[in-house]
Amino acid sequence: MAVINSRMPSHALKTPASNTTQQSKIIKGVGIGLKRELIPQIQKAYGQHDIANINFVEIAPENWINAGGKAAKQLDWFAERYPIACHGLCLSLGGISPLNTAFLQQVKSFLQQYQIPLYTEHLSFSTDAYQGQHGYLYDLLPIPFTEEAVHYVAKRIRRTQDILGQKIAIENTSYYVKAPISTLDEPTFLNAVLTEADCLLHLDVNNIYVNSVNFGFDPHAFLRQMHGHRIVYSHIAGHYTQATDLLVDTHGEDVIDPVWALLEEAYTLFGTFPTLLERDNNIPPLPELMREVNKIAEFQARYDQ
Amino acid sequence: MTNNLLAFQEYQQAFTAYIRDPKNQPRPNNVAVSRIAVYEEIVFTNLFDAISACFPVAQKVLGIRAWLGLVQSFLRNYSANSPLFRQIPEEFLSFLAQTKYSDTIVLPDYFFSLCHYEWVELAVSSSNKVLDLSLLDSEISVLNHDILDRKIAFTPSIQLLSYDYAVHIISPRKKPTQAVSTQLLVYRNSLDAVKFIELNSVTFRLLSLLCGDETGEALTVRQALINIAEVLVQPEPDLIIAFGLEILEDLRSKEIVLGVY
Repeated sequence: MAVINSRMPSHALKTPASNTTQQSKIIKGVGIGLKRELIPQIQKAYGQHDIANINFVEIAPENWINAGGKAAKQLDWFAERYPIACHGLCLSLGGISPLNTAFLQQVKSFLQQYQIPLYTEHLSFSTDAYQGQHGYLYDLLPIPFTEEAVHYVAKRIRRTQDILGQKIAIENTSYYVKAPISTLDEPTFLNAVLTEADCLLHLDVNNIYVNSVNFGFDPHAFLRQMHGHRIVYSHIAGHYTQATDLLVDTHGEDVIDPVWALLEEAYTLFGTFPTLLERDNNIPPLPELMREVNKIAEFQARYDQ
Repeated sequence: MTNNLLAFQEYQQAFTAYIRDPKNQPRPNNVAVSRIAVYEEIVFTNLFDAISACFPVAQKVLGIRAWLGLVQSFLRNYSANSPLFRQIPEEFLSFLAQTKYSDTIVLPDYFFSLCHYEWVELAVSSSNKVLDLSLLDSEISVLNHDILDRKIAFTPSIQLLSYDYAVHIISPRKKPTQAVSTQLLVYRNSLDAVKFIELNSVTFRLLSLLCGDETGEALTVRQALINIAEVLVQPEPDLIIAFGLEILEDLRSKEIVLGVY
């Protein structure tokens, strides 16, 4: 080989799948979403006691697949130091469009490249066939809770698991419109999908709370109906109060006490599971965010005993 | 494509139709305005933010009202194919390239070129193209006459762009009044910064030939320079070779030329 200029730009080099690290790639403890604002702060504080309770990071594959340049270097940095969980947004498990198998193959390669053990998705849809054209809307839209939808979604989850060669976890999603055609309640729908698809549960405790306010049910009763043996992962977050009966799942505020209480009850009922603090908007400096990360870690330590 | 829908899918279709075009599509039966409005807002805002972040100049030259209208038209008239968020701006470009968008908004002639130019920065900054260094020749270490029968290896992020307008100097205060043929080289350096270089038309043609952008296959330095000589007045072979090597040396110093094949 090679090269005229010895100062070879590193972006021109083939990136080897990073990972020769000794660190286990198991997702456990507390995690934080890999937001652009937080990346340099975590890099700077890495190894310090202050952020010792960050045990893993979470990314959306839709943001990182095929990334090059600075983003790829950042991801390599994190992959060498932290286990990574993948939390998808656009698989559209309840969508009318055919399952995007080309995208799933990309996800599969991505999970392998970065040794990512966990891939979770939402019980929602993000595609349509408006005016005869399949298209992405890039948001999480609510699936009507019907028997037909259970079978449809479960089949697509099974197909996804077959393609990936691994089980995926499904998140209970926040929503704002109850479909008038729904014939099931949310926990019945969720449990039916999980059972029929034989997949795992990604429990979002903030979403339970948001939906309980938006649709007037008891969040603790909802929680007690969950299939504890399927829970592998959870989210906790803050939300925006638009009206007394309408909460919007913005991930832009601190976690409120009733949601902390739900997390505690979940740990009591089912034992602890890896838990991610979701903060996507209005992101405070890392030390401030660590207060909530540390609180989750304290809960976990208490309920692990 | 949408025949034989299940009952819940009929509802989903009505739901997204309303979110895409609330002014013209009926609200699904028995769905509260205040609740579906949340989806109208989050879907639009999410798209608007993802698109706007890529086109800071385009939105300013158009003005915020027209820009909002254009993104609304995108949501109303276009079906995006990619699940990757990074490709939303590219989807927007595809939308602009269609004719349907012009239903409400008249865009300046230079607008598409400007948007394309702004999108290139994102595309180059996030490009994951790699160069297989093992294909490069190991013996060549200096750019001299020895490389005349070689092909040039460029940094994989390189983009050679030709526009009908001077897109790189457009601003709200400096909107183009006439077409000006403009050639640019865009690339990402080793610090991951995206750089733009304005090229004259001869240099642009030379680099296009060396990259294979024009012919599909990259030419050797000599082949490319012969090609250039044919279009120049009074071509002096020595001068043209010197011209070519000087350009390549300059590009080497900027880490745009990485080696030879």
